[in-house]
Formats: sequence, structure tokens, C-alpha cells
Amino acid sequence: MAHIKVTRRSMRPEEYVSLRFGWLKRLIVAESREIDTFVIKDARQIGENEYEFYPGDYRPLKKGDLYYTPDGSVFINATAKIPAAWRGREVWFSLKTASEMVVKINGTYVGGVDPNRDRILISPYVDTDELFIEIYGYNRSKPDDERNPESLSVRGCRQIFEGGYLCVLDNDVLSLYYDVELILDAALSGAFDEDFSAMAIKELDAALDLIDFDDVKHADIIKAADCINDRIYENKTYKSSGNVALIGHSHLDLAYYWRRIHTIEKNLRTVLIQLRLMDRYPDFKYAHTQPYTYETLEKYYPEVFAELKEKIARGSFEPVGVMYVEPDCNIPAAESLVRQCLYGQRYYRDAFGITVDNCWLPDVFGNSWILPQILKKSGVNYFVSNKMSTWNDTNRFPHNNFIWRGIDGSEVYACVPPTHFISWNTPSQIKENWDAFEDKNTGGATMQMFGYGDGGSGCTEEMIELMHRFDKLSVMPRTGHTTGKEFLHKNFDGNHDLAVWDGELYLEMHRGTFTTKSCLKRMNRKLEFMFRDAELLSTLRMLQGKTYPAQKLRKLYKLFLINQFHDILPGSHITPVFRDAVKDLEQIEAALEDMINNGDTYVNTLNFPRTEPVFVFSDGASVRHGARGRYCTVSPNVLGTVALYCDTGTDWFTCSENTVITPYYTAKMNADGSFASLYDAQADREWVSGDFNKLRIYGDHPGNYDAWDILPDYEDTQIEIAVAEPLSFVQADGEVAEFAVTLQTEKSVWKRMIRFFRHSRGIEVENIVDWHEKHKLAKAIFDVNVLSRELICDTSAGYIQRETHRNTTWQQARFEVCHHKWCDMAESGGGVALINEGKYGVGAKDSTMSLSLLRATVRPDPTADMGAHDFCYMIYPHTGDFLENEINKKAFEYNVPLAKTDAAALGSLPFALPENLYLQAVKRAEDDNMIVLRLSEQDGRRGSFTPGQKVKLLNLIEDVTGEAETIRYAPFEIITIGIDKETVL
Amino acid sequence: MELSSYINEIIRPKIQGDGGEIEYVGETGDTVSVIFRGECSKCLILDRCVRWIEAEIQRETGKTVTVSYERKKPFFWDFA
Repeated sequence: MAHIKVTRRSMRPEEYVSLRFGWLKRLIVAESREIDTFVIKDARQIGENEYEFYPGDYRPLKKGDLYYTPDGSVFINATAKIPAAWRGREVWFSLKTASEMVVKINGTYVGGVDPNRDRILISPYVDTDELFIEIYGYNRSKPDDERNPESLSVRGCRQIFEGGYLCVLDNDVLSLYYDVELILDAALSGAFDEDFSAMAIKELDAALDLIDFDDVKHADIIKAADCINDRIYENKTYKSSGNVALIGHSHLDLAYYWRRIHTIEKNLRTVLIQLRLMDRYPDFKYAHTQPYTYETLEKYYPEVFAELKEKIARGSFEPVGVMYVEPDCNIPAAESLVRQCLYGQRYYRDAFGITVDNCWLPDVFGNSWILPQILKKSGVNYFVSNKMSTWNDTNRFPHNNFIWRGIDGSEVYACVPPTHFISWNTPSQIKENWDAFEDKNTGGATMQMFGYGDGGSGCTEEMIELMHRFDKLSVMPRTGHTTGKEFLHKNFDGNHDLAVWDGELYLEMHRGTFTTKSCLKRMNRKLEFMFRDAELLSTLRMLQGKTYPAQKLRKLYKLFLINQFHDILPGSHITPVFRDAVKDLEQIEAALEDMINNGDTYVNTLNFPRTEPVFVFSDGASVRHGARGRYCTVSPNVLGTVALYCDTGTDWFTCSENTVITPYYTAKMNADGSFASLYDAQADREWVSGDFNKLRIYGDHPGNYDAWDILPDYEDTQIEIAVAEPLSFVQADGEVAEFAVTLQTEKSVWKRMIRFFRHSRGIEVENIVDWHEKHKLAKAIFDVNVLSRELICDTSAGYIQRETHRNTTWQQARFEVCHHKWCDMAESGGGVALINEGKYGVGAKDSTMSLSLLRATVRPDPTADMGAHDFCYMIYPHTGDFLENEINKKAFEYNVPLAKTDAAALGSLPFALPENLYLQAVKRAEDDNMIVLRLSEQDGRRGSFTPGQKVKLLNLIEDVTGEAETIRYAPFEIITIGIDKETVL
Repeated sequence: MELSSYINEIIRPKIQGDGGEIEYVGETGDTVSVIFRGECSKCLILDRCVRWIEAEIQRETGKTVTVSYERKKPFFWDFA
């Protein structure tokens, strides 16, 4: 029997209400005057507030003209006159645009327009009718921003100018418009009781029936508003529970679909808009992160910065977030995160006289377990980060307001709000937040951030007007507009009912960001250790009477920290952002190189003896990372000069057909460079259980979040890898025997150098790749002959154990995790570690590790990762466990080359340092000549040491917290001590 | 300046600045063929940009050309 679906074609009451809501919007502007004097000049931004201009002078800009060019900026001027009849009334400047504009009138910054707002109240800021309007415009918004569908349809490089106007508004219409918007959202969202929705639509319909839209009379607008007040606001029949704290905020990506240079304007516009809202709405409060953005405002727009300081002093504008920028919190090592706090906190103190007690990272892609200790020791008790609640693809994160316990046991209060950090403050979003809030019985209120973001922009007049009406709508959860600090203190302080989350805050999404844009990860690792060496050597030189380059190092460090931003280091950005990052990092590298490798004497900058071979540049026969040199062993000196030893002869190994025999191993090699067998002569055991050092290239199709994500089904498809030149012996000397193999796919060539050592159990694999794949993920697979149910991963400040079975959805979701210098899979008696020099993604299942090597994504950057790569990793089989075998120290050795420096100018540190703590940083204090040492316990042991003199105990932001002669430390503790320079000279 | 160089060195960085990508394919007579990728591949008003490229080529190289283009969307936008 045929089935006929009955479809209603006639207009429903809610549709008629929505239609008239649109008509109402057209009545908001009571009178307007088109400005017909606009002139425009096209430009392209090439630096911070630096532009190259297209030829020609200013040209007229008329309504309907095309304006903007690809990657374009515009400078627009106009003159206008406020009609005499408008004197005493609020006068607005109106301009509808898909771009972003900052507007000055008669030399005063009056506000901004962008896709989220099209008018600026100007009358409070001008004292004459004659206006000179200056507009700086930039045509860039987040191109896939579904949050403002209206702007999507007009997105593109060439825009049509829709004209600019002076206007006055009908405030009664505007007020009615907001009433209808509020109630319509609540009624149509489905978030509230359906009886309420039916009542609301019925009464809105009745109210709008009072207006004849063919002949609108002002009195009818008032009647309609009264009707809504009497029949909806006064109807208290419909109730709901809830307690929602509303916090104004705008997320600002320093670089993403735009370059960092463009964020100078984005930040100005965002801040300016909030300041103007505060002028109009004295109760409005707004939280803004990232000291770096305040620095740029202070540098380029001092007059706006002065206003900002007033609003901060008034309590309206709230600096939040201790970190200098909002960095990725997976890949940066502990010292980088420390510096984010140090330089961020110091800026807030210097500029505003405040110490911020929260860390505000709404958009970061998961948070390392090492963070709570770093925050706690930087004056921070509260942590805010949204993604785990809203973006997890497998498990619902079980808490929103809770205590987060870190690797060392440090605890901070944590807020992971239930909904997105970008919202526009509607009743439905607020109700959705409360409904999703998982700590209703223990957490107090739930946090709701409101404001447009990613590219800044922030809150709107509309959001505040809606907020002022929430109390009138009885069906709404209880709301309160507050600051971040007030919310955190009120809901967390002394709250003994909060649940504890003990572990990393793993984001079950964006797992590809550990690997995408491989080059940035490698440079990040390299520079983290170069900063360590540069500061250490500069301190030693200072002790010899030379000047410590404090300002230079601080400037370089800040530039480095900016490049750890969560859409730069993770690789989720467009092509020009990558170019900027590489340029910055190369500039930093060159400057640090001058501070480190400026002499002829080899120095071990580690605070423990080296036991592994080092590669030094020379006329040796080896080529590593494109540079000629040779492998040597070194004398056991610590923090000082070392002698190099190079054995001779090649009788320490043999190779025949596919078998290599060294003092440690008998290795049976496959033609592709993988191991058929790796028999350990000393341990009398086999390490290989299947694929071992096997290169596999998988299909990698995560979809729209291409650069961000790896999906669990990546193993379903692979491409064929052919052996172009099978494994063969290349050369050997007294320290190393090198073999090479060339693999190829249809598009890429992958050469592998495999190095066996005479004096190390390590087996190095160098990968020299010409990579031209698309939607692929390359991994090195290691099926290890151990019975293991966990993968041990370095976090840079201790280790984390992760289960490798798939028993529950929590383990299933962690099929790809972040590690730092090494990971290890072992059973009692032995295991295999993989030590890397800049690879962060690793998968583990049962007894198999898969080190992620390269990706080939096309969004946001169609050119991502294409071209030449050269990276190494070390396979390190060991007896005993990773602690007994000091895998962590070997990983440090692998990542910290010998310095070749002016040793004659070096002294030594005038105090004893324990070798079982890692010397993380040595520097001059920010404020004075005190020497600051940072030590990190990374093996999970408790102990004590005596430096040989009384030292100051510091927190991570270099406040003195005490004194001690003996320092006791706990597992995974980061210790900072200060020693007066005068006492050691 | 050759058109291929002009598109690769002058136009391409600007297109990339908006998250797009342009690839020079070849020339036939007065027609230059290019491929658009990235954000350009789904741009609703790409024609305006193409006319601008033609105007820029005229202004900077003195050559009058027609730009013929193909969009190559990534697979995940193909259904859009």
C-alpha cells in the first residue's frame, strides 16, 4: 500500500512570529544618512602595522563597488556631518561588512565593525558635528565559522561595499526586538518545557498582532512590549533549576587562518569593542587572556591601552590566564610551560600590579599531567579549559568543576565548562550548559563563557541586552554575570565535595597534532634544549665577569613561546603561518647558536656523565642530518669540558648477507630495513615478535579536521612501499657501522640509514624523506617480544604509564598519545625503548608500539609537510626496566649535543648538583643577579641533597619562598633554588 | 615576467594568505589555466577573485589574458 507522508505547507504560528521578528529588525534604524565621501586605498600587511600599498592614491568608494583583495587590507576615509536635527540624540555609525574594521572619528578610536556587529555608537566620543572618519579594514575571519551563517554567504577575498551611514535608532523598537529574540530562542530551541514554548509562541503572536507592519505606529510598539511583559514575563508558571555564571570572553587565536601580524588588529578591535560596551553598560565585565596581546596593545595603541588600564582598575576588564600565550599543552616541555607562566605573570605584575591566579586555556588540545605542579608553583590555583567536555569523540568527560591532581600530587581547582567557549548568550545555550553540567550536586555554579571568538570580536550589545532580560524569564536557570576570578573563588574555595581527577586531561580528538608539520616539532625540541644551553653557558660566563644577555634571551624566549601557540606548534594553520614560524625559529636558532657554539672546546652541558656515543662535525665518513662528521665517545665530565675518544678498526662487527653481528646483537635484517630478528647476545633473548622497525604508510582521512585528527580506523588501509634499493652496507669505522635502504611509493622516496654502534646498545635510524603523499600517515612499527600491558611515556618532567589493552572505551580512545623524548615497552627483565628527537605521536596496542613519523594533510594548509624531511630515532633494547637502564638520561644525551664553546671563558657552577635530578634550567633571575637553578626529579623517587651553601627556595615565577641548606624533594618534583651571585664570586 | 612565475611568486602568496591555493597549469593562447585548492575550492564568490587576477596580470605584466580555472575540493568538502 502506498504511503503518503502528510506535509504541512501552510505557515505555522512560530514561522509567522519569526517572519515578523525579521520585519521588526528593519524598523530599528529610525533615520539614516548615507555617507557618500568614502575614499579607499588598497594594501597588504607585511609586518606588525607595516603595509605595502597598491599603486595609486585614494580612490572613491561607492556603494556597490568591489573592495578588498586577496590577503588584503584597506584604508578608508570619509567626511560626514551629523544633522543638526539629531543633536542631543544618540548617533551611530553603521557599516555592514564581512571584513573586520577599526574605526576612528576625529582621531578617537570609537569602535569596530565585523561580521558580528554593524554599528558603533559615536556621539559620546565626538564633540562636533563635523566628522573625519578613518577606517582600517582587514578581510579575514574564520572561513568555516558556522556560528554566523549570515557571514558565510559573503565570505571571500573580493567584497561588495554596502555603504556607510550615520543613523539614529528607535530604542523602543530595539528593546522589543531583544524581547522577541530572547523569547523566540527559548521557545524554538527545544531546550525548555514544551508547554512553555507553546505559551510563548501564542503570546508572542498576540503581541506582534498589535503591530500593523504595513503602517507601523510607535504606540503599537509600546503596546506589543507591554503585552510581552504582562503575558510572558509576568507569567511565572514555568520554572527550571540551575545556576549559571556568565563570563564575557573572546577567544583569540594568535595565528590560524591569519598570521600573527594580523592579530595586532584583531586584538585592538576586540579590546576596543569591549571597552565601548563597558562605557554603555557599566555592569558589563569581560575576561581577556594572553599577556602577549596586552603587550602589543601597549606598544601600538597606547591611548587604547590607557583606557584598558582604567577599566582594569574599575574591575570591568579582567586579565585572566597566567600564560604568556595560550600554548599547546601536549608538546612543549616543562621548562617552556614554566616560562609561559613566568613571562606572563611578570607582565601582569609590571603592567597592572596584579598576580593572576588562574590559567585560562579554553581551546587547547588536551593538557599534560605535568601542568598542575607548574601552575601551583606559578601562583595559580585555578585551571580553565573547555575542550575535553565538548570535543571528546568517545567518552564524556565526567566532571566540569573538580580538582585536578598532577603527576607529583599537586592539586589545582579545575573548571572544564560543559559547553563551548564561544557562545552568544542565548537562553537555549545557557539551559544546554546547565543540563550538561555534571557536578550539580558538588560544583556550585557552572561556567558559561559568551562572546564571539577564534579571531576575537567578543561580546555584542545584543548579548548584554539579552542578559539583562534573563531574570524576567522564569523558565531560565538562575544566571549571574561575573568575572572569572569571582566565579572560581566562589565555587571552588573550600569546596570539599569536589571530585578528584588524577591523571592527564587527554583530549579524545586532535590526535594528529602530535605529528602534523613535523618540522615545527623537531625545531621546537631542538630549541628547547638550545635555550637551556645558552642560558647555562651565559650564566657561567657571567660568573667569569661577562655580561649576561638577559634582554636578548628574554626577547628570544618570548618569540619562542609565541610559536608554541596552540594553532602554531600543533600545525593547524595556513601556509603563511608556517612560513612565519619557520622564520622565527630559524632566527632564534641562529641567535642561540652564537651563544652556545662559539668556540673550539667540547663541553658536556648535562649534569651527569655521558655514556652514549655523540656525533660531532668533522671530516669523518658519516653524514647525519646532511652534515659530515663522526661518532665518538666522551670522557665522563659533567658540566664542563670533555675529551673525545674515537676507536679505530672495524673488526668489532661482521655483516654477511642479511645478518649483522655486533658486540650486543645478532640482527637479521629484511631488505626494507626492518628486523626479522634482533637477538640480544648479552641478555640472551630475542626482541622481535613481528614487524620491527617496519615502515608502514596508512590511509589518513579524518575529514574536515584534517590537520588535527587521526581516526582509529587509519590502520584499515595502507599503500604499497617498494624497496628501490635493498638494505646494504655503507661504511664503518671504530664506532659505527652504517647501512642504507631506499624505499619508495608512487609519490615519495624514503631513505633509511641504520646505524649499529660499538659502544652502545642503541640502534639509530635516520630517515631522509622526499614526501609527496596526500592523506597519509607514516609510522614505524615495533612488535616487541615482551608481555606488556602498558606503555611508559616521557612527559618531559616524569613519566606516565598508559594501558595498551582495549578493555574499555577509555583505553580504546587513547589509540594515539603524546610522548616526549622516549617511550618504553617492557616486562620484568627487559624491554625496548624508542628515543626520538622531535616525534611526539605514538600508538600502542598490546605489545606493539607505532611511532608516528609524518602526515600529509590538506586543511588548513594544502602544502603541509610536503617536501624534504630528515629525522632520526633510536631503538634502545635494554635489560631491566627503564629506570635501571636510565633511559631518560640516554634520551637527554640523544637530544642535547655537545656544545662547542669558548671554554676558556667558562667557570663551573660553584655548588654540588645531584646527578639523579635533571638540571632543567640555569639562568640569571629576571630582577637581579641571583642565579636561578631549576632541577627536576623525573624517576619518581624521593630524596635530598645539599648544595654546599644556604640557598633561597623559589617558586617558578622567582618569588623567594624560603631558605634551606638541605633540600628534600618528592617524586616528580620541580625544584627552583636561587643563589646570590655575590656569594659565589 | 613569465605568467607562471607571476602567478607562483606574486599571486600565490596572496591567495595562500586567505587559506587558499592556486596552481599554475599552463597557457593556451590568451588563456591561462589554474587550479584552485584550499578555501578557494569552495569559495562562493571566486569569480570576482579570478577577474581581479586577470586585472593584476594586465596591470603588472601588460598581458591581457583570460584565467580558466578548475576547483579541486578536498574529499571532505565534496559533499558540500
